[in-house]
Amino acid sequence: MTDATQAADATAEKPTPKSRFSRAWQSDFAWKFRHSPVAIVATLVMLVIVLSAIFAPLIAPHNPFDPSSLNLMNGFTPPGAANQFTGDLFLLGTDDQGRDVFSTILYGLRISLFVGVAAVLFAMILGVTLGLIAGYVGGWTDTIIMRIADIQLTFPSILVAMLIFGIAKGVTPVEYRDQMAIWVLIFAIGLSDWVQFARVVRGATLVQAGREYVAAARLIGRSGPAIMMRHILPNVLSPVLVIATISLALAIIAEATLSFLGVGAPPTQPSLGTLIRIGQGFLFSGEWWILLFPSVTLLALALSVNLLGDWLRDALNPRLK
Amino acid sequence: MRPLKITLALLALSLSAQAEEFRWAGQTDPQTMDPHAVSSAPVLGFLNNVYEGLVRRDAEMKIEPALATSWEPIGDGEGWRFVLREGVTFHDGAAFDADDVIFSYERASSEQSDVASWFAPVSRVEKVDAYTVDIFTTAPNPIFPDSIANWMMVDSGWAAANDTTRPDKDQGNYATLNANGTGAFRVTDRQPGLQTVLEPFDGWWGEAEHNITKATFTPIQNPATAVAALISGDVDFINPVPIQDAERLDGRDGVKVIKGIEARVIMLGFGHDHETLNFGADEGAPNPFADVRVRRAVAHAINVPAILQTIMRGNAEPASQLVSPAMRGYSDAHAERPEYDVERARALLDEAGYGDGFSFGLKCTNDRYLNDESVCQAIVSMLAQVGIEAVLESMPVRNYWPELREDAFDAFLLGWSPGTFDAEHPIRFLVATPEGNLGTWNFGGYSNARIDELLPAIQSEIDDAERQAMLDEAAAIIQDEMAYVPLYVQPLVWGARETIELVQRPDDFFILRWVRVN
Repeated sequence: MTDATQAADATAEKPTPKSRFSRAWQSDFAWKFRHSPVAIVATLVMLVIVLSAIFAPLIAPHNPFDPSSLNLMNGFTPPGAANQFTGDLFLLGTDDQGRDVFSTILYGLRISLFVGVAAVLFAMILGVTLGLIAGYVGGWTDTIIMRIADIQLTFPSILVAMLIFGIAKGVTPVEYRDQMAIWVLIFAIGLSDWVQFARVVRGATLVQAGREYVAAARLIGRSGPAIMMRHILPNVLSPVLVIATISLALAIIAEATLSFLGVGAPPTQPSLGTLIRIGQGFLFSGEWWILLFPSVTLLALALSVNLLGDWLRDALNPRLK
Repeated sequence: MRPLKITLALLALSLSAQAEEFRWAGQTDPQTMDPHAVSSAPVLGFLNNVYEGLVRRDAEMKIEPALATSWEPIGDGEGWRFVLREGVTFHDGAAFDADDVIFSYERASSEQSDVASWFAPVSRVEKVDAYTVDIFTTAPNPIFPDSIANWMMVDSGWAAANDTTRPDKDQGNYATLNANGTGAFRVTDRQPGLQTVLEPFDGWWGEAEHNITKATFTPIQNPATAVAALISGDVDFINPVPIQDAERLDGRDGVKVIKGIEARVIMLGFGHDHETLNFGADEGAPNPFADVRVRRAVAHAINVPAILQTIMRGNAEPASQLVSPAMRGYSDAHAERPEYDVERARALLDEAGYGDGFSFGLKCTNDRYLNDESVCQAIVSMLAQVGIEAVLESMPVRNYWPELREDAFDAFLLGWSPGTFDAEHPIRFLVATPEGNLGTWNFGGYSNARIDELLPAIQSEIDDAERQAMLDEAAAIIQDEMAYVPLYVQPLVWGARETIELVQRPDDFFILRWVRVN
């Protein structure tokens, strides 16, 4: 609070033009953010998680992807206690292979986040492009694109993702399956998610296409693609941003679900879902930490992204002003 | 008179409705209902409830009469004469006689059969009369009756009528989904991967020891889910119980854990006859496993005691040979397995010219053996410590055998339980040069002239000491050549509700006719 008022005072005293930062700081958007504890906490949690994923190699005490660093005798060490054979200490315990759970979570986060972000980007590009075309061109093109979207919407997205995953696994040669798995996941989740983007963008495009500035652009002879990209797109982006954030949480969960079902990230490159799947096998036997910590991490990540998305939707909605 | 009848009928109805419906779950669904199409324990074990052979094994694994009432050697080791049981009918009502035995021999020993190697020592089968059959062997074969307990009889008329006179292990045919045996239970509903329903066969020749009126098998792939199903009472019996859960499960009220040592040895196999590596970063490079020093290095690099201590939680014994010490013909002279020695493994690799290591593809099941995937992952990290990179691919068992048959591996995990409870069995299936009926599960194509010479001699030797001497020699060759790296003998861990009485046979076959629901 004090920082904020000081910054405001400082800019008020000086007659010089306001800096970019302070303009952003004083915007409506920033004001809403500063006054929403939920948004602040969610952002902080997300930042911590994302940063620790990015800097995992620096933070993690072990590299769980380097099999030569593992010692099987370290298996099933409880959190914070020394292993009875090797005397090694692990913050969050170890799994059945003697892998440090803390390090595995950090590395697993990288895969979960990478797949989530890449899948949403893919869905966004595909959905926005198709939505723009459908809304701007209209007619048969519109009908065909949107009916395909309708049909796809009747399938649960996880089912679509599993279908694509199954087909891709069938056609890729065995030796490339592990490397391919991550890309197939991205493709599968992305393809099952584009409809939302397409629908929203098409609706917004229909509205924008009737505006005078579009008519003006058309009159001076700009081409269709140019009008779509340069004129309409910037005006339909804010709902896309909201959907992208909410989709990110869904994509992370979809990835975890697929990996949990054993059709996602391979055990050699475990994502959070794979870790939960592995941990689930030790639920009855008392090694709760193998399941609990990855689950809590996934929950924290999905929840914070989701809350942020909700807040973003409210903040960007002109009707709630 | 009439009211009494109705009362009796009602009484009988209410009695039979009292429980006795038995539900059990296993990790793998039997891939087929065809007794000659897949030679694997989940299939043969399940079908032992539906089909029967000339002989069968009792609870102690001893051979006892089934569809044959007696048998005796012919002449001086020319073969065996079986006297068949009269009055036996198949589930569809057809009578069982010598023609069905001849037909079942032709079907099971055909090229399309997966169990053909059982009949490698057989020269011909002859019908003497409707209830006597002579089986001639190429050489004296003292253990022949022991080796055919899983050779199940199929009705010739039924097979001809349904166009399934030969098994089809790849495409499947009528017999894949339908069964018509002589056993105590008949299949009333078969939904692959979902459930299989068995009901007692009224016309069975034997006396029922069980009190089951209906038995439903459901495959539950995830062992933790199976444990939950047992605890919640959704099923009465599960096989296996995950080793990590055995202790806790045993402490719970209402359920019990039945433990034993299985006859199954878990081992690593190599692509001996591969020219090049098929997987990993060194794909296309000359196959390092052709060098015995590399195979020995692998054996020394794997820390079996650590696997048994952590992943198996002290519930398994290390293995030195392809059979466990409980099997007949186990070689006491070769009971020592290569010890865990990283330095030695490195030295051996160095000697073989792989001082900088190499990368290869390791195939593994993830739903067949206890904690199979965990064991493979542990092997990957142990091999990494001597500089070998194993690229692990694990898959469900239904995809696994076809992959191995297509040579899509550099090394693989395999579990073997000798159906005859004899050390000769794995030599015939896993070590003999693959040709005709021999070496049908020798995926790596291991070949040793001396072994091929010893095998028929072992099969026909009547003198126990002579036979053991040859088995010892074979065990020595297999160990010396490191044809396979035997890892451990798998434990049997079954779970059941306390009210269930059952018999645990060391071959992991679950025999329904010994089950009582109290």
